[in-house]
Amino acid sequence: MDERKTTGTMSEADLARLLSQVRAGDSDAWGELYRQYAAAIFRFCRRVLPAREDAEDATTEIFMKVRQKLGTYDSSRPFTAWLYKVASNHCWDTLRRRRIRQDLETGDLDTLPLEHPDPSQIERLQAEHTSKEVRTGLAKLPDRARMALALRYYADMSYDEIADTLGVRRAFVGVLLLRARHQLRDALTQSGAFSALKASAGGKS
Amino acid sequence: MTEIANHFDEVTALLYLEQQLDPGRAGEVSAHLASCPACRGLLRALESESLWLRTALAAEEEAVPAYLTAAPQRSETHWGWIAAFVLATGGLYTLWSGFIQPWYAEASQAGFTQGNLLTMLFFSSAFWKGWDSMRTLLEFLPLATLGAIGIWALRKQWRHFTPIAFVIGALIFALALPPSAVAAEIHHGDPSYTLPAGQEVKTDLIVAGERTRIDGDVDGDLIVFSPSVTVNGHIKGDILGFGQEIQVNGPVDGNVRVWCQSLTINSAVAKNAMTWSGRTELAEKATVGGTLTMFSGASELDGRVAGDLLAYAGDLDLNGTLGSDANIRGDRLTIGSTAQILGHTKYRGRRQPHIDEGAKLASPIDVTLIKRGPNYGQIAYYWHAVLLWGASFLFGLLLLFLFPAFFARAVNTANKAGVSIGLGILLLFATPIAAFIACITIVGLGVGIATLLAYAIAVYAAQIFVASWLGEKMLGIGSGVGPAIGRLAIGLAILRVLRMVPYAGPIIGLLIVVWGMGALALAIHRSIRTEAAPA
Repeated sequence: MDERKTTGTMSEADLARLLSQVRAGDSDAWGELYRQYAAAIFRFCRRVLPAREDAEDATTEIFMKVRQKLGTYDSSRPFTAWLYKVASNHCWDTLRRRRIRQDLETGDLDTLPLEHPDPSQIERLQAEHTSKEVRTGLAKLPDRARMALALRYYADMSYDEIADTLGVRRAFVGVLLLRARHQLRDALTQSGAFSALKASAGGKS
Repeated sequence: MTEIANHFDEVTALLYLEQQLDPGRAGEVSAHLASCPACRGLLRALESESLWLRTALAAEEEAVPAYLTAAPQRSETHWGWIAAFVLATGGLYTLWSGFIQPWYAEASQAGFTQGNLLTMLFFSSAFWKGWDSMRTLLEFLPLATLGAIGIWALRKQWRHFTPIAFVIGALIFALALPPSAVAAEIHHGDPSYTLPAGQEVKTDLIVAGERTRIDGDVDGDLIVFSPSVTVNGHIKGDILGFGQEIQVNGPVDGNVRVWCQSLTINSAVAKNAMTWSGRTELAEKATVGGTLTMFSGASELDGRVAGDLLAYAGDLDLNGTLGSDANIRGDRLTIGSTAQILGHTKYRGRRQPHIDEGAKLASPIDVTLIKRGPNYGQIAYYWHAVLLWGASFLFGLLLLFLFPAFFARAVNTANKAGVSIGLGILLLFATPIAAFIACITIVGLGVGIATLLAYAIAVYAAQIFVASWLGEKMLGIGSGVGPAIGRLAIGLAILRVLRMVPYAGPIIGLLIVVWGMGALALAIHRSIRTEAAPA
């Protein structure tokens, strides 16, 4: 499970060597590490934080933290997992400080429909919407829902890691992800209906 | 889907798909799937949705800002540290030997014995004898440092900036008020205030109004905030005035300290006078018993000053009598035929002073002509540049260590040169105007003073962020303290050199200020948004 997004390709041995150089205080090695991951971390931040400027700031701040905390990284575990953990903690803290996190969301299943959704509808949504539209839809989701989807499907985090980052029980992660998917489907359906409405209105005039 | 009980729910489907079910439950689901096309359909839809989400999230349609992807070019830790250490030591030494020590010596020589802190700092004329070193110190290092620490301490309450500004303003005001002002009469003009002739206020009098006219006497200080102030009565304490036009026609037993557009003194001031004004006039029959300190545009001194004259004036006409030394800086000085100076006269200015034949000077005037623009031939000029660089470097270090994340944010923001410069231009001109408007009203005085303080800090701090940005462009963006210090040092040095370029230097200086100020403002805006955005 370590196929997380990076901009470059680097073998495990190379990465380990690079990390030990960085720990020894080699600035060139740090530069190389930064070059490998900065773009991926920026994209991650871009997907979870509301504004581009926030993502730029966060990227810089995350790398400052990484540099400070590199001593605490356990090299027996995948580096990218650790890196995304630092990044997601930072972004989640940022969102939490904004106090727009939905603290009321709990582990209940009430808001999830018990009936199966129509698979063809899900597939139609996929066919009808571009990646960009999906990301626009994501931006409309509540912070925790957006964060959960990005952690799982962009940062490839495990359920345990997601639970730890978002401060929820592990058993709740699946519900969180599914609810986020529902919210995304709703957002896209609404935007689709809206554009259809616009198109028909435009056609009439 | 009526037979829900026979199917597994969507969460189970997702958990099965993501291999999060325990083996027993996973086995049950597998068995059910084999015989249930509906559930297989759901699983297929969820699986393709996962893939769709991954693809959408991984899509790299948006360009990553170049400065984020540019890797540091080479190691600069070692020289950064060495440079930082040497420069910081040099900065500290110059700060001590160039500013603090001489100023301290002057202050103790002048024997500050009474009054409160602010009186001593701003209103004691003796203080301004240290004007030369003070001017350089006006690079605002200590003030900015104090301000920065204050703002840092209060940053959590940043949203409540107005009350804070008011509190700070009130504190400053309280500090400035002498203890006797505790008992004072306070009047708000409706819209104007007049103290009729024959009446006497037994305590201090504090007045705010559109027009203020004091025909009666005040047996204490007169503190007045008013566009138009006329004092005809006898003031037994000090006059502290903020206004547009202030005219003092009655005798004052204490000091006159005003901040206004135009000041006219027609009477006797027993102690010192100090003015920050566009125009100052000391009429023929007027006298100042102590020192006259002026920061004034056009000034005419026809009366008598018993003590020293300290003038920083655009255009000064001197026709009266000066009982002691005169230290004048200005654009143009004319000493008329009726003038008499009993002490030593020092003048620094752009033009040769004009002295009428009849003027009586105890000693020849000591003239230092300032060439328009810097004097490139003098070593002192370069030494001064080094001092300024050292001061800015120390200030930068302080910002870097106190607010590392904010520092990085402001430097990042400087990348957006267009927005920063635009905003910077707006702030550079609009802020003092807004602060001045705030100062006119008594309620806004705190806000006004706090705004001006913040403005001064921002103007000074602007170069720090532009310098770091420049350093980053030159040395790369290696992380850590050493390189950051190195970038700051080299950036500031380059900016300092650029500002020394003939003709272009001042324009570059202005550009640095607006650019850095804009970046700083944007960074503050982002910080506020990050820390305290509304729900």
